[in-house]
Amino acid sequence: MSSEELTVKVAKDLEDLIPTFMKNRNKELEALRVALAAQDFEQLRQLGHRMKGVGNSYGFAQVSLLGRRIEEGARSGDRAALESCVAEYRDYLAKVQVVYE
Amino acid sequence: MSELSAPARHAQAEFRVLVVDDDPDMAAFLARMLRKEGLTVDTVHEADAALVQVLASPPDLILLDVMLPGDVSGFDICERLKADEETALIPIVLVTALEDQQSRVRGIRAGADDFLSKPVKVEELVARVKTLRRLHETRRELEARRLAAEVQRKEMIRKAFSRYISPRLTERIISQVGQDSAPFVEHAQRINVVAMFADLRGFTRLTEAIEVDKVVTMLNEYFAVATDAAYRNEGTIFSLAGDSLLVGFNVPFPQPDAAMRALRTAQETMAAFVPVLAGWVKRGGVSTGIGIGIASGEAIIGNVGSPHYMSYTIIGDAVNTAARLMQMAKAGELLMSGPVYDAVKSALPAGAASRGNIALRGKAEATAVYALQLGAAS
Repeated sequence: MSSEELTVKVAKDLEDLIPTFMKNRNKELEALRVALAAQDFEQLRQLGHRMKGVGNSYGFAQVSLLGRRIEEGARSGDRAALESCVAEYRDYLAKVQVVYE
Repeated sequence: MSELSAPARHAQAEFRVLVVDDDPDMAAFLARMLRKEGLTVDTVHEADAALVQVLASPPDLILLDVMLPGDVSGFDICERLKADEETALIPIVLVTALEDQQSRVRGIRAGADDFLSKPVKVEELVARVKTLRRLHETRRELEARRLAAEVQRKEMIRKAFSRYISPRLTERIISQVGQDSAPFVEHAQRINVVAMFADLRGFTRLTEAIEVDKVVTMLNEYFAVATDAAYRNEGTIFSLAGDSLLVGFNVPFPQPDAAMRALRTAQETMAAFVPVLAGWVKRGGVSTGIGIGIASGEAIIGNVGSPHYMSYTIIGDAVNTAARLMQMAKAGELLMSGPVYDAVKSALPAGAASRGNIALRGKAEATAVYALQLGAAS
């Protein structure tokens, strides 16, 4: 992941919403892991779909991108791809920097 | 624009949006963007909560996510709200995934007013909501103007008629405005009426000896008593001139008990006049009393006059006969024509004294007359 992808520009007036947003993304990561371990593809699909919608709205393009890949992986039952996505998501959440403007 | 719309524009009305999204971050985001535009926003995360909220406090617009947890989807909510008369007019914007063409088709079938794609672009969100808001406000303003015009029209009628019709009758007339059966049609009508004339016997002669101020005060006291009784019995006051008063019954609305209403008006006027007269006697020793005549028959009713002065008028035999009977009545006495007496005699256990058939001026046939001593004379 490039440093550009790891820096997210968020509108100033959303600043106070971001801590909750990030907390929910980490909860989401946990839910993805649990669903993956249980091979619950329907749950994975829904989680991915939700990521896809909410990510870009806040300016987190990478969240939407991963969400779309998770949704697709869940549809096709591609476990390896899903595992890779979840790992990538964990990495992303650990490193992402938010800049307000 | 007419000036009627001005108040609506001065204070911009609150516009309430309900955001229904199971994702709290999405809901918070939408709410933030809409509040920035000066809108009032509520958020709910579940289908049931959404329905409860809409019914408890109907919003002006709903932003509805199609993917909701549980069995009820956004489409279902949309369908339900659009099927209910109470909520059908609330615009609903369905929030769907951009590429989801199927959802759009389903949404249109469910009655959605507009669509918004996730991820949500702020400009698009604001533009769609503003458009729907403008539509909503235009509709509200049109409705307000329609109501204001109606209120104004009714107020004009109230002002025009409340001076000579009892307040209850005025209300009935107003409630019928716009209906075919409106009582004050432009053309005159010929109907059966009961006419009641009342005056202060010998009062004109008295006025020559009493100070002007006192005369007006006394007339006001007397008319207050008489008009009060007339209104209580839902009579229509046709004229009030000098010290005489003409009240019609069975007009403009049918009153099957018109004769009884006239009798009660006479009785109540006489009874309420007793203390008034006692006061007059105490102050100046005047000698007078009310005389009343009641007759029934056909009369012509209509608005008569010029563009400058109009009068709701009653003309006919019943009116003439009532006037003659009043002139013949002694102070404190009520004289009724035969048909009137026949209609009310069951309510008079002691009956009334027959005065036989009296030839009235200008009438070929003699009229049966009955007398009832009702009130005070001094």
